[in-house]
Amino acid sequence: MALTGIQIYKFLPKTNCKECGQPTCLAFAMKLAASQAELSACKYVSEESKKALEAASKPPIRLVAVGAGDKKIEVGNETVMFRHEKTFFHRPGLVIRVKDSAGPEKAAKTAEEVGQYKVDRVGMTFGIDGIAIQNDSGNAATFAQCVAAVSAKTTLPLVLMATNPDSISSALEKVAKAKPAIYAATKENIDKMIELAKKYACPMAVRSSDGLNELAELTDKAAKAGVEDLILDPGVRGFGDTLVTFTQMRRLALNKRFEPVGYPLISFPGEGVASPDEEAILAGQHIAKYGGIIVLDHFSPAFVYGLLTLRLNVYTDPQKPIQMKPGLYQILEPKPTSPLCVTTNFSLTYFSIAGELEAAGWPSWLLVCDTEGLSVLTAWSAGKFDADKIAKTVKGQNAAEKVSHRNVVIPGGVAVLRGELEEALPDWKIMVGPREAMAVGGFLKEHWKS
Amino acid sequence: MPGVEIPIEKWTGKIKEVKLGGGKRKEIVLGGENTLPFLSFEGSVPHPPTVAIEIQDKEPAGWSPILLSAWGDAVKDPATWAKKAAEYGAEAISLRLVSAHPEMGDTGADVAKKTVDKVLSAVDLPLIVIGPGVAEKDNAVLVAVSEAAKGQRIAIGNCEEKNYRTVAAVCISDGHAAIAKSPLDINLAKQLNILLTDIGVPADSVIMDLDTGALGYGLEYALSIRERVRLAALGGDAMVSMPVLSHAGAEAWRQKEAKASQGMPPGWGSVEERGIIWEELTALTVLNAGSNIVTMMHPKSVERIKATIHKLMGKK
Amino acid sequence: MSKFIATRAIRGAHAAIKMADDTLQDALKKMGPDTPVVFKDKIGGGTAFYLPTIWGLLGTKVQKLGELVPVMDYARGLLPPVPAENMWLPYLGETLDAGAATLYAFETIEAVRFAKGEQPEKKDGFEYNGPINDTQMRAWGIQLVDGRMPGFAALVGCAKSTEVAVKIVRELQSKGQLIFISSNRNGRNVADQLREAGVEMGYDTFIVPFGTDIVSAIYALGFATRAALSFGGVEPGDYRRILLYNKFRCFAFVLALGPITDMEYAAAAGAINYGFPAFADTVIPNILPTGITKFEHVVSMPFDDIPGKDDLEKAERLVQRCIELRGIKIKIAKVPIPVAFGPAFEGEVVRKADLACEFGGKGGMCFEWLRMKGLDEVEDGKVTVVGPDMDSFAVGSKNPLGIVVDVAGRKMQKDFEPVLERQIHHMMNGGEGISHQGQRDITWIRIHKNAVAKGLRLRHFGDILHTCLKNDFGAIVDKVQVTLYTQPDKVKELIEQARAVYKERNARMAGLIDEAVDTFYSCTLCQSFAPTHVCVINPERVGLCGAYSWLDCRAAYEIKPTGPNQPVPKGRVINEKNGEWEGVNKFVNEHSQKKIERFTIYSLMDAPMTTCGCCECVMAIIPEANGVMIVSRDDYGMTPCGMTFTTLMGTVGGGLQTPGMMGHGKTYVTSKKFIPVEGGIKRVVWLSKNLKEELAEELKAACEREGVPDLMDKVADGSQVTTVEQLLPWLEEKQHPALTMDPIIG
Repeated sequence: MALTGIQIYKFLPKTNCKECGQPTCLAFAMKLAASQAELSACKYVSEESKKALEAASKPPIRLVAVGAGDKKIEVGNETVMFRHEKTFFHRPGLVIRVKDSAGPEKAAKTAEEVGQYKVDRVGMTFGIDGIAIQNDSGNAATFAQCVAAVSAKTTLPLVLMATNPDSISSALEKVAKAKPAIYAATKENIDKMIELAKKYACPMAVRSSDGLNELAELTDKAAKAGVEDLILDPGVRGFGDTLVTFTQMRRLALNKRFEPVGYPLISFPGEGVASPDEEAILAGQHIAKYGGIIVLDHFSPAFVYGLLTLRLNVYTDPQKPIQMKPGLYQILEPKPTSPLCVTTNFSLTYFSIAGELEAAGWPSWLLVCDTEGLSVLTAWSAGKFDADKIAKTVKGQNAAEKVSHRNVVIPGGVAVLRGELEEALPDWKIMVGPREAMAVGGFLKEHWKS
Repeated sequence: MPGVEIPIEKWTGKIKEVKLGGGKRKEIVLGGENTLPFLSFEGSVPHPPTVAIEIQDKEPAGWSPILLSAWGDAVKDPATWAKKAAEYGAEAISLRLVSAHPEMGDTGADVAKKTVDKVLSAVDLPLIVIGPGVAEKDNAVLVAVSEAAKGQRIAIGNCEEKNYRTVAAVCISDGHAAIAKSPLDINLAKQLNILLTDIGVPADSVIMDLDTGALGYGLEYALSIRERVRLAALGGDAMVSMPVLSHAGAEAWRQKEAKASQGMPPGWGSVEERGIIWEELTALTVLNAGSNIVTMMHPKSVERIKATIHKLMGKK
Repeated sequence: MSKFIATRAIRGAHAAIKMADDTLQDALKKMGPDTPVVFKDKIGGGTAFYLPTIWGLLGTKVQKLGELVPVMDYARGLLPPVPAENMWLPYLGETLDAGAATLYAFETIEAVRFAKGEQPEKKDGFEYNGPINDTQMRAWGIQLVDGRMPGFAALVGCAKSTEVAVKIVRELQSKGQLIFISSNRNGRNVADQLREAGVEMGYDTFIVPFGTDIVSAIYALGFATRAALSFGGVEPGDYRRILLYNKFRCFAFVLALGPITDMEYAAAAGAINYGFPAFADTVIPNILPTGITKFEHVVSMPFDDIPGKDDLEKAERLVQRCIELRGIKIKIAKVPIPVAFGPAFEGEVVRKADLACEFGGKGGMCFEWLRMKGLDEVEDGKVTVVGPDMDSFAVGSKNPLGIVVDVAGRKMQKDFEPVLERQIHHMMNGGEGISHQGQRDITWIRIHKNAVAKGLRLRHFGDILHTCLKNDFGAIVDKVQVTLYTQPDKVKELIEQARAVYKERNARMAGLIDEAVDTFYSCTLCQSFAPTHVCVINPERVGLCGAYSWLDCRAAYEIKPTGPNQPVPKGRVINEKNGEWEGVNKFVNEHSQKKIERFTIYSLMDAPMTTCGCCECVMAIIPEANGVMIVSRDDYGMTPCGMTFTTLMGTVGGGLQTPGMMGHGKTYVTSKKFIPVEGGIKRVVWLSKNLKEELAEELKAACEREGVPDLMDKVADGSQVTTVEQLLPWLEEKQHPALTMDPIIG
């Protein structure tokens, strides 16, 4: 049973020193209770208290970083089985695998191409998160050469894939500063891999070839040896087995607090599937169902765009919906005479009204107000979508210069704002639209005379 | 080091089984599982989710060229379309009566009846019929559809909180399953199920449409509402334990990512791959979250999602 | 149970059985047991339900004459003996059995008549319809289920005059009722009267004449039986569910016109089995106790005693009363006013230049008063204007107005008065050109010139309220009548009465304490955002959004029993002081996806209520100060706990149970049940400034009540203190009581 914030507070120094980054000890205690902070952030907590709090404050799944600097991939520290229970915190990393057998030039070229890929969505830019280099050749020197060539062409975090500790060692000599992940420690090589991971302070993946028992033994060994930044490969592949095993591991970590599997996962959706398309579908499954580092063998912009979009969806905080950037959006190709409609910046609200306008074939101007991501009625009742806000947005976005008319359609749900809006926008005629987005086509057909 | 003990969830609830088709028609059973999607290690999943192909009664306007080229001339006639869908591996046909919409042709009950007759005789697959989504027209055409399909046990939708009685009445009378549509809200879904069972729709004749957002357009809501409904159902709440239908295809193909071929940022990749993966990821996500039937549109995605389901069911 | 009626119904049942026996025996002799029996209407439309009443209630498929013999044996077995003169024991059960026997007898008689080719009946060249065919049954059955058609009225006998017959039929049609006609008085029935008046009968006009004798009334019950079999998903033979289905779904009744025969009493007893009450326009005993039917079983409304200036008005009232007694609610499609009506007009402002006239506002006098009355004290739809109307007021003038709304309903409760009264604002604003603000005696209404030009008058206020109250609150409101007063003296007199009522209501609200009820109400509206959040609303704590009080929830539950507000029975008390009950825990656990196991109503520290995303305020303990702070949603500033409202919401929101922090409604601060476990209002050390100002009076009263009248001077606000470091010296300087209370963290 996790401790409540108040219970945790009792163990804290109660000095409100703020050094942990929280304004008060109580606020810090609340964060700890929600597994959103680490006890180590408090320098003054007594040893005695620390012991008592350790269990409650240690995240059930460790946060592990691959790479260093801005682009590092942080995965793990998840606290729930289902995103509605709280949220999924750390987006899995999408990594593209290259092989040293292709030669260093080709591998570096692919890495460079992949590194340049980027795409915008809801005002954010996304791309590939890392490159995995596989020691296909089996040769340590070839591997090290390839790794060096790749790292010269990209700043993305790396995953070094070799079972031969010598290969890993020679690659690490070149790129250890960038904190690449070692893949993988196995039953056969774990002692040497532990040494390397310790020596270079790099995260290490652990792969089992015989189920979770073996995996737990290996991680236990690594942790006892002081290597705690672990990433797990339980050795299963394909749709059914990964769904089952990943689910079981997440449950073991969260519900049973079984520490040996309390680390993020690494998966290979391209292994054991029939086609690149299937790889993409399985990668999608791993995004929704507990993947951490997802290694892809094929790079197709369309697939990656789909996967990045899915990841954005799944890792959206249910309490903080995706927001649109406020502004004046063009639907189809509006003319100055086209309708001007107002809505909020809750993404679903925006998508439904934009979708309906498009579907009904109405080129139009859609003015999105900043309502902190709340839908029409919620924003209105929270005072974030009022006449003042709408009027300011109309003026701030220079709507009057974009349209030749002076009519603005407000959502039917906020019909009450009409009077105040008329005051705030004296040059404009305020039209009250329908309550449901679905009816907007019919509404414009009936009431919009350009 | 002690052995790892796999945690097993013991659920008290079970998803209700709803049969469609039967008799001379192929029969499918939706639901019946007593565990989360595909987790057969702790329960049984007697019936894999069904993949239906969505067709409509009117030549589509504004559709993605990728979709149109996949179907060719079949889109001109629902019976031909249904046949072709069957050839492409559809396990059920979902027919949307677009032409009955006041803005899309405003056809009446007679046309709807004829279309359904034609589709029913063209294929031996179970049928789902969705009205135009305008209450008055839904009630007019779906009553005729129900009568035309009497004895064939089809699924008819949509019943919504504001308009469910007429469709429910004919489903009871003619022995069909009613599709209960609610807007991404577990309490409204439950309330509608209560209302439907209250007026006499048998609990094994309700299919829930919890509403579906496409990839990039609210898919996270679709995912979470399904997981919540599933957890509640398996936890023993019989009033949300009806099988779930997801219109993955129609939602995905409505988005510009699935349609736009020109002038798009290079990061979007090729339109041929994009539309299909959009549909596939939408379908996969709602399946993994808890859907017993998905309606889809592109033959390729249908094939792959069927293969995926096959593998998720533990078959190699 | 009336002995008179029971005796006559049982006697009638005996006669019906005898008649059926005789007819059947005769037919068997003449035609043989294998003669087929099939029901068909006059156009040849049949039924797949055999003899539907017999099939439905008994599960017996009758296709041949011979198969009727066991049916009659069964019916005879149901017959109780006719009560003797000195016997006072005939009870409802026996009469109902006699009624059921009559139905089997009647259907048997009609079946034999069909076998003989005597049905559908012809009389003077007029063809009666006979039983309704399946196609028509389906079309009407759907309408019964989806609510377009409430039910049917079985007219038995003959109206006082042809005009009265036509009026009754027209009134019934206007209420959407189907009309079935059977039986006769001295050879005449309603069908004859309608023919004389040239009224078309048939499926198209929703008037179905079955036959000239009471036996043909069985077709009405055959129709009801088939509706239950088709649309109720009921199996043949499951008589109980068929009867219940009709009781709750089919708003039918029998209206007997003219003197009633024994056999008609017997048939009415049969109909009561289906939950269909019987009304008569002659003097007979009433059977009022409810049970089998939704309300009264048998009601006598002697035609000549019905108030009304002429027979037509009496007929209208007769029908209205029948509709009321059967519990039929009729939706009004459109608000009947000369200006547009809809939510789109809610935000309309009537500016000075456009003002026709106004009521209330600064220096004016205008009030709204909604009162509950008895069902017989309210005339539904009646709107009266006492005094001059809008068109006679000077342009731009301010006038007095009193709006008195009388409401009656079987499920109406006195406590719902303020709940409904508060809706007047929203309803009135829907009218184009009407701007409404305030409530009670601070109402302010402004009317646009254009609206008056289009013909808007005061009576239309009444029409708006009548329509909206019935449409939106039909579950609790059966009748609405509105009176509008504009004479200054009268308004002045009534406003004083109204004020006394407001005062009384306030006092009642104050007296409505948690201990006085055994049921709280839930609100799960927010679960779309906060899946595990359940508001439990007790009389002394509003929902944390501030929008729902215990009374609002109770009314909402009456209006929509499947909605988000459900009763939460307290159940066995676990801890009186903390406010923990078994029933509450059970409810919360079941409705929070089993995430929340226990829940106290009175404590902040021990299993407090969860918090969704829309609370008006958040309170949080400040351990350093041994007290709590309260920040309101409209306060954007920093608070002494180091977090703004938004950050705090991030910590407690989303359905989490966070001891030491809790969302709540503004007025909760002044409640007697404000965190009593932690010491109540004395614990408050910091308040948002706007909250302090907004609730100044209520806070003052609450502090006085708790014996700390000067507490608010000691409580800091955001203009004085924003950190815990500033807070402590402030509290010490003011000697805040929290500092010397028991430690808040045990």
